[in-house]
Amino acid sequence: MSTLMVIDQPPYGTWAGREALDMAFSLAAFDQSVTLLFTGSGVNWLRMSQQPGGVEQKSLEKNLSAAPVFGVEAIYADAAACARYGLTVENMIAGVAIASSSELLPKYTHTAFAG
Amino acid sequence: MAADSLHNFTLVITGAPYSSQAPQTALSFARAALAKGHTLDRVFLYGDGVHLASALCAPPSDEPHWPAQWAAFLKDNAVPGVACIASALRRGLVNDAEQKRYELPACNLLEPFMIAGLGEWVEATMASSRVIYFHAGA
Repeated sequence: MSTLMVIDQPPYGTWAGREALDMAFSLAAFDQSVTLLFTGSGVNWLRMSQQPGGVEQKSLEKNLSAAPVFGVEAIYADAAACARYGLTVENMIAGVAIASSSELLPKYTHTAFAG
Repeated sequence: MAADSLHNFTLVITGAPYSSQAPQTALSFARAALAKGHTLDRVFLYGDGVHLASALCAPPSDEPHWPAQWAAFLKDNAVPGVACIASALRRGLVNDAEQKRYELPACNLLEPFMIAGLGEWVEATMASSRVIYFHAGA
């Protein structure tokens, strides 16, 4: 079983993205193959140097940098969504690969969204 | 129907009752699946979906009581219903054990729902032939 966890909602406005990340880390903790895909407005999670302290939230930067340690196989950002939101490898947090969602989707047996 | 076309489903509900259609759609799906000979491994409530397991919902008498309908369905068909503990604690849904642990003034988990970790969902994805998600659709 291989799972592609899709985060397609922007950060901070809802808990869905954070809860999707919890799902991904749980799969990894149980030694299940899991990959993260940020797409649509969800790619904004990956913008570098966010300071969400003003809304009493935490950025994903630390969580995502720990993802490989926890066994998350890869972190992808959808190419079209990155272009739309002006994200490039220069202004994205480290460890993220830009890919085409339509090419990724067939490679996984399960796809899950948190909300 | 041939046995090899029958599924063992896990349903994941992430939309809350009365804010979204998710619990109602999931219940219709669950009833239809059993009627066609499929089985349900379990139902997992995640995110806002945990509100479905509240014993304190009191909708007007001329509206469907989704937590009661779901609870009756789970009991009648011996299907486990599990609410994610992290989602539940954040949203004020607790059983008596969590009430004691966090020294809260009340508990409100509707029987036969249980509270457990995301490991239950991981196990469900391995045990079932299909995992179907019912989201709020926002």
